[in-house]
Amino acid sequence: MKSQFVKINALQGKGSQSEQSPNGWSQADTRSTVPFDQLHGGQTSFGQTPQSPGAGLPSNWDARSLPSPHPNGTPGQISIAEQNTLKQQAMNGPITGPTRNGNNAQVQMLAYGQMPMSYQGAGGFPPPGYAPHPGMGNQGNNRKKRRFPIWARIAVSIFLLLLVVVGGLAGYYYYNFSAPVSHIVGQQVTRLKGDEDPNAVRNGADILSGPRINILLLGSDTDQKFTNTDGSHNYLAQSDIVVTIDPATKSVGMLSIPRDFWIRIGNGMHKLDEAYSLGGPAIGSGAYSPGGVALSRLTVFQDFGIPINYYAWVGLDGFVKVIDTVGGVDVDVLHPINDDNYPDDVGNKTGDIFAYKRLYIPPGPQHLFGSEALEYVRSRHADLVGDFGRSARQQQVLSALKTKLNNPDIVSKLPEIASDLNGYVKTDMQLTDVFKLMNFARSLNANSINRVILGPPYSADGTTPDGQAVVFPDCGKIVPVIAQMFALGNRAACNIQANSSNNALASATQPSSASNDSATNHSLQAASQVASTSAMNLGGGSDNPSGFHSLLDLMFMVVLESPQAMQA
Amino acid sequence: MKRCIPWGTLLMLLSLLLILQGCLGIGDNSQKGNTITTNSKGNQVNIVQNLFKGKIYFTIDHNLWVTDGKNNTRKIMTGGNVYDPAVSPNGKWIVVSARNKNSSDIAIMPVSGGKRHNLLSGSGSYYNDAGFIKSSNHWFAQPAWSLDSTHILFLSDIEKEDWYIATGENAPLLDLQVFSIPFNNSFAKPQDIAYASFGDGGDRDPSYRPGHPTEIVYTHYAYDAATRTQQVIQIFLEDANAIANHPGVYHPGLPGYDPGIAITDPKDQNLQPAFSPDGNAIVYVRRESPSQMGLYVMPVPEGVTVKPNDPKTEQQALLPYKKSSHILSGQYVSQPIWSRDGKQIAYISYNNNEFDLWLANVAFNAKKGTYSLQGNPVQLTTGGIDGNSRPFWTP
Repeated sequence: MKSQFVKINALQGKGSQSEQSPNGWSQADTRSTVPFDQLHGGQTSFGQTPQSPGAGLPSNWDARSLPSPHPNGTPGQISIAEQNTLKQQAMNGPITGPTRNGNNAQVQMLAYGQMPMSYQGAGGFPPPGYAPHPGMGNQGNNRKKRRFPIWARIAVSIFLLLLVVVGGLAGYYYYNFSAPVSHIVGQQVTRLKGDEDPNAVRNGADILSGPRINILLLGSDTDQKFTNTDGSHNYLAQSDIVVTIDPATKSVGMLSIPRDFWIRIGNGMHKLDEAYSLGGPAIGSGAYSPGGVALSRLTVFQDFGIPINYYAWVGLDGFVKVIDTVGGVDVDVLHPINDDNYPDDVGNKTGDIFAYKRLYIPPGPQHLFGSEALEYVRSRHADLVGDFGRSARQQQVLSALKTKLNNPDIVSKLPEIASDLNGYVKTDMQLTDVFKLMNFARSLNANSINRVILGPPYSADGTTPDGQAVVFPDCGKIVPVIAQMFALGNRAACNIQANSSNNALASATQPSSASNDSATNHSLQAASQVASTSAMNLGGGSDNPSGFHSLLDLMFMVVLESPQAMQA
Repeated sequence: MKRCIPWGTLLMLLSLLLILQGCLGIGDNSQKGNTITTNSKGNQVNIVQNLFKGKIYFTIDHNLWVTDGKNNTRKIMTGGNVYDPAVSPNGKWIVVSARNKNSSDIAIMPVSGGKRHNLLSGSGSYYNDAGFIKSSNHWFAQPAWSLDSTHILFLSDIEKEDWYIATGENAPLLDLQVFSIPFNNSFAKPQDIAYASFGDGGDRDPSYRPGHPTEIVYTHYAYDAATRTQQVIQIFLEDANAIANHPGVYHPGLPGYDPGIAITDPKDQNLQPAFSPDGNAIVYVRRESPSQMGLYVMPVPEGVTVKPNDPKTEQQALLPYKKSSHILSGQYVSQPIWSRDGKQIAYISYNNNEFDLWLANVAFNAKKGTYSLQGNPVQLTTGGIDGNSRPFWTP
């Protein structure tokens, strides 16, 4: 068998060049021992002209028993025995065309009523003495009679075409979506010592059934950074929100904790937004820090007694990227937007992590690119009516954005949007959970959401002894609100003073092993989730390719700090 | 053998051709005009010529362009930060607002070309004021010329730290107000022209009234005086010298303490006024619904700027508004300007996901005192220009 492969390879790879076999023999002198059906595949693309029967044929095989393709026996005269034999001498010159190749022989044989080689017996040879059936000369007429009607053939062709197209598209989207999704959902972060895992008592219950769930939403800049000696970066969390859902009553609460809250983190007093930074450096190219998530989660639990079931982290740059990918949004800016203290946390290269920038967005219809749209929806100082005005702006941008996302043209950009989300959205929820959660959020009555921002009167601006502008919590007012919103009873806390016995900070900087351990299974899990989520979409008639609208909604909810983001 | 005509195949080919025609725009007889540039959205911007007289200045990606309707279109100012061009009535200067990250400037350039230089610079820095982080940067926006080309109106927040007592708010007055400086002495102290109410963004779209050198018009953004929760967007007329002539009488912050007088109904949101060349009419934009805006023309009330806060005068000032003529409507319609002969209005409209210049021919019915649209509006540009920069039309 060895020489057989050598010969085939030589033919395939070198064309007409004569090569020495490994034993030093010239292939030209080597008689093939390859059965025809094995050799056939190797010869078809070359103009090999078999010369004579080769060894290995049945002893009683006689090429002359085959009818000649041409009565005079000259042009293209090929016998089975010839096809079964390699003669390297015949390939002295460059191969110029597919003449007289194996396929040609097969075609000729079909034309003369012989069976194609692949249809022959186990050895691929016609039985010795095989001759065409006398009646096979009329096979063409018989075929005509057995032909399918033309409509059936068209239908089958269309069906096959659709099968190929749909299959191709499915493969394309699974390839483009399952990989990004695997980096977005199911990003487990190991809990730090002292952090309670409320999922332990849920026994795998559906996210919208069973006991109350609390979800920590972290919105993080991706520009302000502390650079470590090893070149890694630590980032701040610009927004910390806890959403609580009671599946039994379908009630929803949303607690926004000011990022400048002066509270206990680890062993010392810090602003809340520093928990994300102190937790550890970002991994990968973005600002996602598992350690930051872990310490933020622990801080919310230890300082306020709120156990966190899930987290969702969003890098603000992702919102900017998504809007830029869809080509920006066009909105009618309701009134001039003035803000002298907008956080300069996107595109800021100064290294000043507490920098502000000024906004002036003129009123009237205009095109907003991603960063401008983010400024328009995030500014907190541009309305006398505070969050009402901000909410109206957010609805405008989301409405414009969703109009674009619902445009059929956007299909071509979905992989790019998936790529935009990749690295800028992370959650330990599964895709199906996100889908259910976002569908639930869309069905919410905006007025039914119990929303509390721990600004005044729950806190007051102030300055620390070292001159930092911070927000001091008023525990006497905060605890009753937390107890009621999260149904915590006497477990609601306000342990905001530094506690030296806590060593969470040290352990928080350890890289999360859980996320690494589970990484290998993410792609498969994500693919199956994409499938199941898409099935849900079809069932619900929702325009939500591969669940990506749900992931986008999750991003909007975190960036805009409002579950109403889904209702635009 | 009889040869059959393959009607089915021919029909299929014909259908294919029609589809391709639609896709490729084959046979489209609309005016394509000249391609002048490719904008930041990747669209080719085209200008349809020979539809108007004079020159129209506008911005694409905030670079300044001028087109004259005679196949001449050129970029005359770059930088990517140019807004709201205005040419002096004597035709010598172009003034623009130039945006920076935290501030903006008023910049000027000869119409004939050359280097631009700043008349006013808003550059400043952040500072700590007893624990509050403040900024000494300023905005200078929407410059407009006086009729004699000697003064420039502009919007600014240069007095943001000056009005804590007047506003009653423990916060700077960030809302932009209207000021004026002499063109030949930009170092002079700017004169207060129109004040802003606190909290809704301030004033916009200021311009002098032709034929009435002391009257200006502008959009006033405010919250209602009673509840301070409802947005009230009105067009105001004002004596440009009222504040200077009555020191200590007026101040910003709350409605009713400024010399501006509303000439549009507070129930409607009206904005972006522009005087007709004779100064007797104003074209403006009305927000008809959250998804539709309209272009209207109204007569200018006379003699109402002398006693601006007199209730009777206030009523009188609103009467011409009721005679507004509706010209057209669309999803987004904005930034209207008049041609010098008063027979055309150029405006920015939103179609095919882009903002473009359009022209509407209008006719004035002297008997009824109304304006009406003549024919269909014509698209002047395709591909998209800046929607947030006011165009300017010169003879």
